[in-house]
Amino acid sequence: MTTYDQPNQDRLRSNWQAITAELDTPAASVVERLLGRVGLSSGTVRLMAGTPALRRAWFAALATAIAVGLSASDSNDPRASLFAFFVVAPLVPLLGVSLAYGVRADPAHEITLATPMSGLRLVLLRSAVVLVVSATILGLASLLGPSPALMAGAWLLPALGLTALNLALMTMMVPHRASLTAAILWLGTLVIVNVSTTDKLAAFSPTAQLIAILLAVGSLTVVFTRRQAFDRLEATA
Amino acid sequence: MTAAQVLTGGLTKSFGKTTAISNLNLMLEGGLVAVLGPNGSGKTTLLRCLATILSPNDGWMRVDGLDPDHESDRTEIRRRLGYMPQEPGLSRSGRVFDVLDYFAVLKGFDQERQRRTAVFAALDEVGLRKRASDKVGELSGGMRRRLGLAQALLGSPSLLILDEPSANLDPDERLRLRQIIAARRLTTTAIISTHLTEEANGCETILVLTDGQLAFTGSPSALAAVADGRSWLQPAPPLEVRASWQQPDGRYRCLGSPPPGAILVPPTIEDGYLLLQEPAAVS
Repeated sequence: MTTYDQPNQDRLRSNWQAITAELDTPAASVVERLLGRVGLSSGTVRLMAGTPALRRAWFAALATAIAVGLSASDSNDPRASLFAFFVVAPLVPLLGVSLAYGVRADPAHEITLATPMSGLRLVLLRSAVVLVVSATILGLASLLGPSPALMAGAWLLPALGLTALNLALMTMMVPHRASLTAAILWLGTLVIVNVSTTDKLAAFSPTAQLIAILLAVGSLTVVFTRRQAFDRLEATA
Repeated sequence: MTAAQVLTGGLTKSFGKTTAISNLNLMLEGGLVAVLGPNGSGKTTLLRCLATILSPNDGWMRVDGLDPDHESDRTEIRRRLGYMPQEPGLSRSGRVFDVLDYFAVLKGFDQERQRRTAVFAALDEVGLRKRASDKVGELSGGMRRRLGLAQALLGSPSLLILDEPSANLDPDERLRLRQIIAARRLTTTAIISTHLTEEANGCETILVLTDGQLAFTGSPSALAAVADGRSWLQPAPPLEVRASWQQPDGRYRCLGSPPPGAILVPPTIEDGYLLLQEPAAVS
């Protein structure tokens, strides 16, 4: 019988633990396998697929996007349905982000906060996921509309700006209130623009797109400077 | 690995006009620490502050000399921390392994193999390895609580903060949980909030909170000694005492200032704890 000295015994034990862990690990889900195939690390895949709040956010974004897409397909008044699509589309990622972070969205939020994972990293990751999923679905939904080429792009930058604004507001108030405030600001802006011009789509003009970029940059600067808010319960409860 | 040292000075946390904890000065290092107190006494707020997820309005705290107000220090403290809130909020639709693996990622286990080993080590410790592939919703309440504990134990933390870990558990599960936590006492500072004095009895140190203030710090025997000479039995219902209750033999156990000729009895930590509370809370 072979006997082992202490270092070898430790190595043997460690190897044995790794083997049994490998054998006992349940198979990854289809979503996880797909995400893994696109080159994401196993940790990132787990963070994306393992968050119930994110799943809810995905479904909410999906449902809203389909509803928006269908409503935009009204061919009787193409310009009006295009406007309706533009108004609602940027709110989809907003809804997703509000459902992806904070105590109300994530029952395990308190545990999450107490881990070394940066709150900013987590909220940005979840927002990026929501944004990418929303953009893809809304992009596909826009194909149902009257003016696909225009629809596919004009709402994207306002959505980005609005999502960034939402994140900035989340450093000052609880997530659902931040999303509500951002949504009210968005709708209020649209009302003001519509009242002051005759062009229904003025809020999506090239100038407006530039303003959306500036809003995104400014908001993300606020997010970065106030990032510690994402690490504490006060701002996220 | 050595147990974490926790120091606080003048720690105060308010929510609006309500002061949840006030001017707490603590020095904790190693072993099990029970935080006792009635509902609303500030136990959860204290634990959340110590877990660095709430920032105090006033005062300071250090864990191994690290200041949670500094971002890098806070991250380092959280690497050493295992935290289980009153409601862990674990996803019921997720599988046991997946849920724990998710928390392992959050705790900084980047390498898949290393993470897997850590997850199974934690599952072994709480006796749930065989349930790794089951949905969390299929576990009993006690098992779910053990799973909550498993996520706190991931990575062998030197500071363990557990908020009412045994609430609503049957005696068997309570005992099992107590054994798991007690096995860590040499390498961990485990701070456990409870309102069960029998649980506090097994701890090295007891903190008693009353209305957000620290009413007592010391060993279980020192807490019992608070009631030295103030715990007695009498056959008739007492008139003016801090607390009293009828025993199975019909006599009344009373706490307060004993009348002349009272039969004094050895005090328990429950006696000491009750005497530290406001009269209105125990009458």
